[in-house]
Amino acid sequence: MLRVVGLIELRPGGDPEPKIENEPAAAIYTDWESVYQDNVVGIYQLAFRRVGNAADAEDVAEDVMIRTLKTLRFPAPVHNVRSYLVKTAKTVLADHWRSHYSAQNVALELEQLPPQELAGPSNTVASERAQRLLGLLPDQFRRVLELRFLLGYSVREAANEMGVTESNARVLQFRALRKAAELEREVLG
Amino acid sequence: MTSSAADRVARFVDDLLRGRRPRRFKASPDEAEAMAAAAGLVAARAGADLPDKAALDRIHQRLSARLDESPRIEARFTRRAWLRTFSTAAAAAFVGVALDEVLTRQGPTGPVATGPAVLTPDGGQWRPVAAVTQLPEGHAILVSTGSVDAVVVNDGGQISAVSGICTHLGCRLQPDDADKRLSCPCHQTAFSWSGKVLYYRLKAAPPDLPSIESRVRDGQIELFVV
Repeated sequence: MLRVVGLIELRPGGDPEPKIENEPAAAIYTDWESVYQDNVVGIYQLAFRRVGNAADAEDVAEDVMIRTLKTLRFPAPVHNVRSYLVKTAKTVLADHWRSHYSAQNVALELEQLPPQELAGPSNTVASERAQRLLGLLPDQFRRVLELRFLLGYSVREAANEMGVTESNARVLQFRALRKAAELEREVLG
Repeated sequence: MTSSAADRVARFVDDLLRGRRPRRFKASPDEAEAMAAAAGLVAARAGADLPDKAALDRIHQRLSARLDESPRIEARFTRRAWLRTFSTAAAAAFVGVALDEVLTRQGPTGPVATGPAVLTPDGGQWRPVAAVTQLPEGHAILVSTGSVDAVVVNDGGQISAVSGICTHLGCRLQPDDADKRLSCPCHQTAFSWSGKVLYYRLKAAPPDLPSIESRVRDGQIELFVV
């Protein structure tokens, strides 16, 4: 009897879709191209969610892929490669926050994140999480973040809308973001 | 003190919201915490965290330059050694991956997509698939006529339909109303509601989804299918 060793399910947690006949279980990567094609979008998304801009996300994603692929020996099991990619991404992101903003605290938090899966194509979950987060904030804090991040208002426009000075709007935004970070850590986990 | 921290964070947020790379600066722990929260909020906006094709092309190009210059002999040796170790089971897995490569890589480079196709089956007829009331504005539903899986979309009161099967390897697409897209659960290809490929992580672009003729009669959405 043929015993299959090391065949790894591509979609952990159960695939709601029936398996189609001509789609093989991609258990093993045999070259860097396959690793790239399968994971570059997920790594980019993971990076973007931590740096918030496309230029840095591109640099981080590239650095993660290079660091991972340079040390990989093929063939390599899919789940090992993905775990390694995520682990490397945490290190590269922590380095980014340290080198760009001297931010030891954010870097440490990133390094201590629990193991996670690479994200799918939709950021619906992140959007829902952000909505929940905004819902937990006091009114003034929620309002300034909604105006800035959801409606794209400038600081001046947000200040006019809220009837405060620009300087006050900046302080409100700063305090609201700190509160959001605190809630994210303490309430949403 | 707080005011200048607020100013620095505001500049950082401005850069993020305008899609610019923020300048480096020495942030206090409080500032950094606020900035990390801002990055998360920017990324939560619909579609914000998706890379564009040009970015992926640049990454791929630079990876090629860095990785393809490595000596090949080492990889071949490692592969041979591995095959010796895992024998038959490993070979079976290789066949799977190799098949995927063949199926995925339709051409050496560049998209294989052609112009928009319309599914007009021989012997087709108008078949009701859903009541109009079942499909509110801004929603998409998967329907099946037995022979054809389709996604019917109500985009601003305009009803249309496209094939519900991914053109890559045939997985059934999942409508995503929030992002107005159809996502393939197998390889993360995403299509717009009109069937255009929005992005893919394959060597070559899969073709756009064929559209399916649709109409509304007596409160029923009908598709021209078999």
